[in-house]
Amino acid sequence: MKAFKLILALATVSIANTFAQVGINTATPTATLEVVGSTKLDRSLFLENPDSNNQIRNSKLLIRTTGNEIIKYDIDISKYGPVNYSQFIFNNVSTNGLQDYDTKISTDDYIVSIQGYYFLEPITGDTDIMTHSNTDNNSIEGYQIYAYPNTTTNTWFLRAFINNGTFRTRFTSLPFSDTPIDLFLNLIIYRRGFITKEQSAITVDMANNETITAPLPPGF
Amino acid sequence: MYKTITFIVFIAFNLMNAQVGIGVTNPDTNLHVGGDVLVQDDLNIGTLNTVTPTDEDFKLLTRVTNSTPVGEITVLDVNSLSVAPINTIDYHFTNISLDNLSDVNLQYDSAKYVVAISNFRYVGDAIQKTSAGGSKSIGHFVVRTFENGGTWHLEIKNRDLDLTPGDSVEYYITLIVYDKSYFRNLAPIVTDLGGSNSGTASSVPVLY
Repeated sequence: MKAFKLILALATVSIANTFAQVGINTATPTATLEVVGSTKLDRSLFLENPDSNNQIRNSKLLIRTTGNEIIKYDIDISKYGPVNYSQFIFNNVSTNGLQDYDTKISTDDYIVSIQGYYFLEPITGDTDIMTHSNTDNNSIEGYQIYAYPNTTTNTWFLRAFINNGTFRTRFTSLPFSDTPIDLFLNLIIYRRGFITKEQSAITVDMANNETITAPLPPGF
Repeated sequence: MYKTITFIVFIAFNLMNAQVGIGVTNPDTNLHVGGDVLVQDDLNIGTLNTVTPTDEDFKLLTRVTNSTPVGEITVLDVNSLSVAPINTIDYHFTNISLDNLSDVNLQYDSAKYVVAISNFRYVGDAIQKTSAGGSKSIGHFVVRTFENGGTWHLEIKNRDLDLTPGDSVEYYITLIVYDKSYFRNLAPIVTDLGGSNSGTASSVPVLY
């Protein structure tokens, strides 16, 4: 019986002592170990000396699925990229700007931020737009252009407006008056739990100083 | 003979399915190793499945250089890391001197990180225009991060004008902190436009 097993072993696994090559499901291994078929490791894999890659093209990241399979990450096919960009274009927005807008993007799965914006006059695309305070002509109002998590809907909302003010443009009949705008917001949408992490919020009390050292979050 | 016995004890064969187990008696796959594997040279995988449109919550694989032995393949679990490749941090600035955050040292090591601003909010009173020679100036409002002394700093203010004393503003931003082991900070591209309003880059960033 022992001899029979040994013969099976020799038939299935070919071992050449000189080159120390082992084939599983192949009689002609081309590497030190060649497995024709699938391989399962119950514990860790160590790659002591893999080749380096100095090209960002023609390569794919490797990921592990929730079922523990190692697969290729193809951003064109995947449900999401690690970092995703989308321009949100709002036509004919109120002269008061965008006061509240539900992107319907889940706050559980994503982190949304506005990282760029511009606005134009509708239809004409004219850039001749200024901001105007409701208080008087001498007030330079601040602006708020941001994404925030709505804790009721668990989705990200957008806001983009001038504080206490309106957008104005030049009309032929009037010097300047309120106008709707076309608004362009550049959103960067990060997938949570992949390569991006939301850290705890920090409040910095400036104590009436112009120059200060802010606390550094733990770990940095 | 001793070697042969050892061989039979540790490797279980099933010729019908050509399955080999090392450290396991009932292999699930063509090769099934019940422990660790160390590959000293290349690992080539002929067929890798590709992510599907319905896959979610998969993890990025990374290779650790301080493991024993070196090169352990691990999953990147940002939930258990203190610093992820990309980090978002909401900041809120209170009790500001007029409108001026002239220089806030954010303390992020500029050798390790790149720091960017998003989601800017100016919440508070308006700055008043000032008269100068018969015309009125709106000044020059700046929101930026910059490197100084090996760390990242923040400036938010109207550089030319100030809030009226007694008025106040608070700022909210979201910082995006990128780890340089994943994100390259390329050299600045400087182009002298010589007074023109259009042009072509003087050099192209070094990307492969």
